[in-house]
Amino acid sequence: MSVHDENVVGKAWDGVVVRRLSGWARPHWRLFAASFAVLLGLFALDLLGPWMWRHILDGPVAEAVAARGAGGDSTIHMREFWWWIGGYCLLVVAQVALRHLEVSQLNRTGQAVIADLREALYGHIQALELSFHVRRPTGALVTRVTSDVENLNEMFTSGIITLLFDSLKVVVLLVAIFLLDWRLALVVAAGTPVLVGISIGFRGGARNAHRAVRAELARLNGYLQEVLQGIRVVQVFRRERQVGERFAGRLSTYLAANLRTIFLFALFFPAIDFAVSIIQGGTLWVGGLSIAEGRMSTGEFVQFWFYVALLVSPIRELGERYNILQSAFASAERIFDVLDTRAKVVGPAKSPRDAWTGRIRFEGVSFGYDGSTMVLEDADFEIAPGRTTALVGATGSGKTTLVNLLLRFYDPSAGRITLDGVDLRDIPLDALHARMGLVLQEDFLFSGTVRDNLVMGRAGVDDAALREAMRASHADEVVARLPGGLDAPVAERGATFSTGERQLLAIARALAARPPLVVLDEATASVDSGTEAKIEDATRKLLAGRSALVVAHRLSTVRRADEILVLHKGRIRERGRHEELLARGGLYARLHALQFSEAEVEPEH
Amino acid sequence: MKILWRHFDRFLRHRRDLLLGFACIPAAQLLDIYFTVRIGDALDRLRAGEDAGFLRNLFVLLVGIAALRGVFRYFQRWWIVAVSRYVENQLKQEIFDKLVSLPFAFHAKRKSGELVSRATSDVENVRMFLGPGLMYSAGAFVMVPASLWVLFDLEWRLALAMVVPLVLMGLGMKAFTPRLHKISTAVQESLAELSHRAQESFSGVRVVKGYALEGSMAARFRAQSREVERHQVELGRVRGATHALTHAAFDSTFVLILVLGGWAMIDRDLPAGDVFKFIDLTFKVFWPIIALGWIAGMYPRALSSAERIDELLATRSDIVDAPDARALPQVRGALRLAGVGFRHEGAERDALSGVDVAIHAGGVLGVVGPTGSGKSTLLLLLGRLHEATRGSIELDGTDVRRLPLEQLRTALGYVPQDGFLFSDTWRANVQFGADEPLSDERLRELARIACMDEELERFPAGMDVVIGERGVTLSGGQRQRTCLARALARDPRVLVLDDALSAVDTETEARLIENLRRAGAGRTVVVAAHRLSSVRRADAIVVLRRDGTVEAVGKHDALIARAGWYRDTWRAQQMREELEVL
Ligand SMILES: Nc1ncnc2c1ncn2[C@@H]1O[C@H](COP(=O)(O)OP(=O)(O)OP(=O)(O)O)[C@@H](O)[C@H]1O
Ligand SMILES: Nc1ncnc2c1ncn2[C@@H]1O[C@H](COP(=O)(O)OP(=O)(O)OP(=O)(O)O)[C@@H](O)[C@H]1O
Ligand SMILES: [Mg+2]
Repeated sequence: MSVHDENVVGKAWDGVVVRRLSGWARPHWRLFAASFAVLLGLFALDLLGPWMWRHILDGPVAEAVAARGAGGDSTIHMREFWWWIGGYCLLVVAQVALRHLEVSQLNRTGQAVIADLREALYGHIQALELSFHVRRPTGALVTRVTSDVENLNEMFTSGIITLLFDSLKVVVLLVAIFLLDWRLALVVAAGTPVLVGISIGFRGGARNAHRAVRAELARLNGYLQEVLQGIRVVQVFRRERQVGERFAGRLSTYLAANLRTIFLFALFFPAIDFAVSIIQGGTLWVGGLSIAEGRMSTGEFVQFWFYVALLVSPIRELGERYNILQSAFASAERIFDVLDTRAKVVGPAKSPRDAWTGRIRFEGVSFGYDGSTMVLEDADFEIAPGRTTALVGATGSGKTTLVNLLLRFYDPSAGRITLDGVDLRDIPLDALHARMGLVLQEDFLFSGTVRDNLVMGRAGVDDAALREAMRASHADEVVARLPGGLDAPVAERGATFSTGERQLLAIARALAARPPLVVLDEATASVDSGTEAKIEDATRKLLAGRSALVVAHRLSTVRRADEILVLHKGRIRERGRHEELLARGGLYARLHALQFSEAEVEPEH
Repeated sequence: MKILWRHFDRFLRHRRDLLLGFACIPAAQLLDIYFTVRIGDALDRLRAGEDAGFLRNLFVLLVGIAALRGVFRYFQRWWIVAVSRYVENQLKQEIFDKLVSLPFAFHAKRKSGELVSRATSDVENVRMFLGPGLMYSAGAFVMVPASLWVLFDLEWRLALAMVVPLVLMGLGMKAFTPRLHKISTAVQESLAELSHRAQESFSGVRVVKGYALEGSMAARFRAQSREVERHQVELGRVRGATHALTHAAFDSTFVLILVLGGWAMIDRDLPAGDVFKFIDLTFKVFWPIIALGWIAGMYPRALSSAERIDELLATRSDIVDAPDARALPQVRGALRLAGVGFRHEGAERDALSGVDVAIHAGGVLGVVGPTGSGKSTLLLLLGRLHEATRGSIELDGTDVRRLPLEQLRTALGYVPQDGFLFSDTWRANVQFGADEPLSDERLRELARIACMDEELERFPAGMDVVIGERGVTLSGGQRQRTCLARALARDPRVLVLDDALSAVDTETEARLIENLRRAGAGRTVVVAAHRLSSVRRADAIVVLRRDGTVEAVGKHDALIARAGWYRDTWRAQQMREELEVL
């Protein structure tokens, strides 16, 4: 599966994408029909205006002038003149009204479609498994649901529909011009390919230039964002100048890309204007001959002039439209690429049963993140209901990986994990997750209030449960110190809490729903040991009769577990109760001995 | 407006290009008018019955005019717009440098996404207004009066009447501007919020999934998305109105030409060629006028963007080199804290107060205390990431505020508690700590000291393994050890470890400590830890209370000899140890 990066080259026209987009447009066909009606009406009025000019100039005006020249009465012509003016005013009023709709209606149509698309896309990305997320910068995914989707709006407002109408306009106007005066029409017809040529030649260069600018900007912002997130590290290592220089380097490639677009546009607009002027000059030349020979009236010349202006503007904008379309197609492609990425970790819609006893078994589970190097091999064990299983082992031995599998963030490469004998893959994901309360090694607080972060939108968490959970996790002490208590604001990623405080809040969050299974991955690694011991006791009481999977480096936190699994390089090497493992004198005993011998940081003197 | 002019100063640094560019504008516009005038005149000559032979020469002249106009337009755009891009880059660099220099306290309170958008859209708003915006305005300010001047000569009543729609349109635009501004701000804000929502739920995806929050997150996103749609539709409506307004002015100008021109033709024999000039110049005046409307609409946004940029650039970091800062000839690493206190900006209570402790060069200082007692805060004070609000911190007898930041921070090797890494290779992350390029050999040595050598070998790419955003593809302990290698890479006089081994298993921890002991000979070590055994041999230990005050300072033996948090915790830890052996 490939997901295009920001550099993707969009096609100018992509039938498949258009067909898919029209699928999203169909529910809003009424809006589209209305937009079409507006554009059609506007076009008709655009054609009508110049036609009226000709009839007024050649009709009442010319006749009145002639009548006056002949010394006759021009009153009747004047009356006719005013009637025409009245009609023209009505035309203008209608035109202005439609101009309003032209913008607002098209915009509304586009927005309706992209809102649907945006929400579907967001939902889809969220449903995609963790390995999808890990491999992509968050910023790129955010871009999909924000600017890429917004970009599609352009496709609707100034892309497809307008392009369709523009082509229609060009054809109709060319016909009208031919009907008006074929000699003049030949001049225009000779000039039109030149215009189209310039427009199309231009977009070739502009496409690459635009793409480069967008890609550079994305890279620039990505870098800025990352530096800001790691600002503390940048400052403490005194790397302000270096990151600034790196930023400057990116700025200069960004500038080069920009200068290229400026050059192209600076060339394009004057070139088009020049070509138009030649057409106009030619029109004057040929038209002038016709006028001089009496084959053409002033009114006709004026009408013709208007029509040429009408004809030129869509062609002039062709290059721009082409770019918009292209960039919209590129966005659409990136969006559909994500939408086409099928979620690999999915569950059925219906649960195979309602009540579970909660026996979890790992049966010969192996797993590797890249599919080849195995991080976990042949794991076989059981978490019996109501029992606590602990996982210990060296750093990088695969403990968190095992937790990831239990939570179905990933699926095993081999073997299976079952709940009451049912493969996890046959259980709806939300039914599975509703049974668990978890504290992850890298937990995450959302910006909002403390309460939001603890309740997390779960229906079963009332105030009493919350208080109890907070007491057990000692998060109440943290909250008590906040101005505003539970309603105190939480900054991005909980930046204003200490690491330990964040962990206490995460524990409270996990306990609040009293889940049948708690998963604690290094949940108290940054909590002082006094508090840790108290939390352990309180948690045990609160969770009496529930199962737990506990990962810890500090062996003191796992010694009361019903079973301890010792993981080494992805394999379970020992298992048993604390005393048994100590008595066996293996890995665990060695770890234990080390932990309680001397362990302090002190350089040699 | 004054603010925007101040920003214009940055443009004036490119005075030559700017002047040349602006000089091209009147030339191009006047040629454009001349083009129309010549055609109108030709129509009259034809009507007067002149022989059509002159048309050929006229055609050549028109082509020449058009070519010259094209050249001017090219340079006008090239010079002015390019300058606006130079300024954009300049401004972005200034903002970047400013953001990077602002203290951690500033960043803790702000969303990084918001700052990024400031550097992007605010700069773009200012650039658009002062660059292309002024260029188009200048075009309009030449085109409109010059055209009216020409037309005034032909039929002054009509020329005068033409001003009316223009003025009305200007007034109408002005009336719309506040609403336009309000709604486009609302659109921007709702989009920013949408993007923030997406950003947060994607970076917290583990928690979202683990708690089956997809549904409620999607509902929140949907609500925000509908909010965006509502504002966008509203904006479309107002844009439609301004669009209609400009067209109304345009079209009613044609009505005027038709009425007054037609009338004049009948009444006074106004030549048709003159009517043509009115028509064609109306076309030419129209676009600059639309651009003016567009620029007027941009003005409020540009103004508030400029204000925000100025505000940011004017934010001073109070953590800078003092004027009388003097570098030490050599840093040895003795630390002394006297009456140190700290309060977070806007907080109601001190996070830290009354810390008095000293440590000789090469000694070990332990910092312990319950969760949230201010250990990390204290360590941040050492490198002046936060500035102590009270008391003083001395390095080798000199107040750290009197030392150049460069020297102070070069002397420190800091391992943060959160283990932040950049999404780059392992090698680049470690190199980040060192001033000089590290040889492969040195990198391998650092990996060995940090006990990462075996694991690195297991990665197919070795030291060039790319670690994801914030290091997501490493295990917690691997992240911490990479941070440790990064800190050691600078060969610091003072090593600052903030709970740096919490995610490392005991065996590795023991090896690490042994390695550190050997590699760290002569280094001062400041270590915050939860396990008291890690600070047991320290030369001094600061025990903090939950409220950030100091409970005791002393050596391990002295601390366990008196009642208090340290002794209780120590005993509890001992007891558990004994229990375990049973
Ligand atoms: N998303 C990922 N992509 C690729 N490799 C990964 C990913 N996550 C972890 N790994 C690798 O898998 C191995 C096991 O990591 P895991 O996080 O399971 O270790 P752990 O036992 O939890 O370690 P620690 O105690 O340090 O947290 C490590 O070598 C790590 O680099
Ligand atoms: N930016 C901030 N604004 C306000 N309060 C803050 C900010 N950063 C930290 N705090 C508060 O300051 C106190 C001390 O935090 P600090 O991180 O120093 O604790 P700590 O002793 O390192 O804790 P831990 O053992 O959890 O690492 C905490 O109560 C925390 O909530
Ligand atoms: Mg801390």
